[in-house]
Amino acid sequence: MLQDILSAKKALFAADVHTELRGQKSRNRRVVLLNGDIIGNVRSDVSGISARVYRSGVYGFSSMAEYTSEAAETVLKAATENAAFMDRHAGIGKSPLPSLPAKKIPPKAELHDPEQKIYVDFAREVDAYIAEHYPKLASRRVVSTEDSMEKLLVVSDGADAHIIAPRSYLYVMMTAQTDAGAPVELFKAFGGRGTFDLNFADPSALYPEIDALYERLMQKREGIYADAGEKTVILGGMMTGMLSHEAVGHTVEADLVLGGSVAAHNLNKRVASDLVTLTDFAHTAFGETCPLPVYVDDEGTEATDAALIRDGILTGYMNSRESAQHFGMQPGGNARAWAFSDEPLIRMRNTAVHPGKDRLEDMIASIDDGYYLIDSGNGQADTTGEFMFGVTMGYEIRKGKLGRALLDTTISGVAFEMLKTVDMVSDKLEWSSSGFCGKKQPMPVGMGGPALRCKVKIGGR
Amino acid sequence: MERLNELARDILAEAKAQGADYAQCSVSESEKKEFNVDGGRFSLMRTLYNRNVVITVLKEQRKGTVQINQFESEAIRDAVRDAIAAAESGKPDPAWEYAEGPVEQEFTDGAPDCDTDKLFERTKELLETIRLRHPKILMEQMITEHDAGYEVFMTSRGVTYRTRSGAYSFSLMYSGHEGEKSTSFYGSDIKLKDLDKPVIECGFIERDLAMVEKQIDPKTLEGKFTGPVVLAPYALAEIVLWTIIGNFVSDSCLIDGTSIWKDKLGEQVADPAFSMSFEPYNEDVVVRSRHTGEGYPTEDFDLIRDGKLVSFVLSQYGANKTGGKRSGNTGSNMRIKAGEKTLEELISGIEKGILVMRFSGGQPAPSGEFSGVAKNSFLIENGKITEALSETMISGCVPDMLKNIRGISSDVLTDGDGSLPYIAFNGLTISGK
Repeated sequence: MLQDILSAKKALFAADVHTELRGQKSRNRRVVLLNGDIIGNVRSDVSGISARVYRSGVYGFSSMAEYTSEAAETVLKAATENAAFMDRHAGIGKSPLPSLPAKKIPPKAELHDPEQKIYVDFAREVDAYIAEHYPKLASRRVVSTEDSMEKLLVVSDGADAHIIAPRSYLYVMMTAQTDAGAPVELFKAFGGRGTFDLNFADPSALYPEIDALYERLMQKREGIYADAGEKTVILGGMMTGMLSHEAVGHTVEADLVLGGSVAAHNLNKRVASDLVTLTDFAHTAFGETCPLPVYVDDEGTEATDAALIRDGILTGYMNSRESAQHFGMQPGGNARAWAFSDEPLIRMRNTAVHPGKDRLEDMIASIDDGYYLIDSGNGQADTTGEFMFGVTMGYEIRKGKLGRALLDTTISGVAFEMLKTVDMVSDKLEWSSSGFCGKKQPMPVGMGGPALRCKVKIGGR
Repeated sequence: MERLNELARDILAEAKAQGADYAQCSVSESEKKEFNVDGGRFSLMRTLYNRNVVITVLKEQRKGTVQINQFESEAIRDAVRDAIAAAESGKPDPAWEYAEGPVEQEFTDGAPDCDTDKLFERTKELLETIRLRHPKILMEQMITEHDAGYEVFMTSRGVTYRTRSGAYSFSLMYSGHEGEKSTSFYGSDIKLKDLDKPVIECGFIERDLAMVEKQIDPKTLEGKFTGPVVLAPYALAEIVLWTIIGNFVSDSCLIDGTSIWKDKLGEQVADPAFSMSFEPYNEDVVVRSRHTGEGYPTEDFDLIRDGKLVSFVLSQYGANKTGGKRSGNTGSNMRIKAGEKTLEELISGIEKGILVMRFSGGQPAPSGEFSGVAKNSFLIENGKITEALSETMISGCVPDMLKNIRGISSDVLTDGDGSLPYIAFNGLTISGK
């Protein structure tokens, strides 16, 4: 655990500026098995201190790869000088940031450090199960991994905090060949917040889902190409999560709004059907802890939910303290940094569409000719809201019934147009949290949602 | 550098003392100066002092790797212990193999010293020039930086590389705006050895800004057709080149046997006009990758020569696993041989097709099939660019595309890492609303 050598440095903060001083330890554990061979076996532990200083509308930042009292003083001095350089050459004379009440926020999670053998043995056991039960696979890959961060934050005003955020996963990827010899693959992530030893006690607990993954792969192996064009589809919860994050979430990050995103002209306007409500949850959603809870951000703002769309109307943005001042909004704890050497950026936390009242079975039964799209490999969106998601698993729907599986395809659309076509919303919420959001820095995020019936453009062959 | 050298020696001695059969380490120190522009104005200046230590050990043919950023002896001792414990928890794999010494080399590459004031001036000048020449462009984010440092790579088999290197880099992300209308965002990147000339004159920055400015009022294409697609350098890399590397020719897909090119060495896989190489020693490259992660010195090599697959991109480990041959490097500094026609000439022969500057698509399948959105794209009609397009999807299959090349441009984007032309392909599926 990080010892507090930072609070004492508050005496060195300059009087007329806003200052953040952050110590951080980040660690990563990763074991990669390819067809049973360990091709990656890595442990990484990185720590250091950074300081950021805000002065008249510009920031100075500095970091050092040491967690020492001397390093704290060095980065404070360098960040202060950088802020002064920027103010001198490019300052815009903005007033100071509105102050926040002083507070101390303690850590809310445990941080264990399991030995590497735990990661290796678990992955090998799962791999052996797959090898034994599914010998016809063309290839298999099993990855056990953990990335965790611990931060100590001291700010000139706002909340000082000790943050512990561990998460761990087991990824399984299977590849099979079609009769024509073309490879097809499927992937599944298990796990979530918490260290590896807490999330993965018993490999056999995963076997039913691994069996189901193999079943789906066999269906996909005989899958068909989707017909290209605009179709009525049901997006599964994982796809809705991707949509919430990529296609809507990014456009309502206040820094991207200032960069000209489509949301700049749509505040308080209708952007979705009235069945759609979307929130970036801080730490608790519908009475339960979110996949990756955030209690305080790296600017010392205590985290609260950001209401983004309510009953189809765009109601807000996600802010840093600076952007909140610009837009006359309240900051809600969205400014987060990845490594000790990174400055806080506006990031999502747990972004999800709220569940509705429809049953998934009824939604499927309501479609005469369409698709049920379950899982996505990746997704990208534009600041215009135009999005594209890869679809790795899905089925055709014919006359209200699920049909053949689909080969890999993509869907695309424009978020604020497509969301207006949502006319059914399922009653179950599904979360995912295993990926990284990429902006200037990577960041773990949670995303989720119910199944949605809507119209999108689907790519074919 | 001497301090890093000593530290590397200490790490290897510690690994030997703790029972490693083989050890290697990379020890580095770096300093970065960075300016950020957000929403069209300066927002941040950063100074980063970084360190890195990566230790890899082999014990009884089992491998473990640890990364830390501390130089203190206690931290080093613990890191070596963790690397050995990681190795001991694995299973033996005789394919791990590392370079034999003696090799001792020292290099200086790129721009190891930073002129911070000049970097700021060139950043400011670039921002102002864009504002004047391209008033419809909003710079969503621009990051300009100088990153430099020292690295010592040393192995217990007498291999040592000492490198001092640095480079300036400019990364721009922008979109065009007029009232409430806006374009897709687009990014331009360039790595430079010096700041001798205005940055807008480097790479395709000026050309790309002008193209994006013309995309403010895009049309939606009606219907679906099969036709030629001209891919600009970044879209070419995204759709075609990364798929070749990731799905067909590298360690992972050859070891697991999913590469559809695994038996194609020596065969024609592309049009004879297509040649693809990896050339860290090309004079355009700012910072050369001098050695591989396994300690072998790098050299330039051809992957595809006149359409024929002449090599894979294999590490020694990958070569041992697949019975192949280690390649000259592990896939850095990619170059595609330029053609003879200008972009304009390439377009002039197309009756109906599209030009794509950026691609937003799903991960191509192992077979090379892909589909996705043609971003920042234009309609080509009767040999001319007629209008900008939105919501247009393209799909195709990379191995088929390589055999259906219509033409390769003589204009190439040289960005300090590699060199890429525009390529026109026949027979892609293009679909609008």
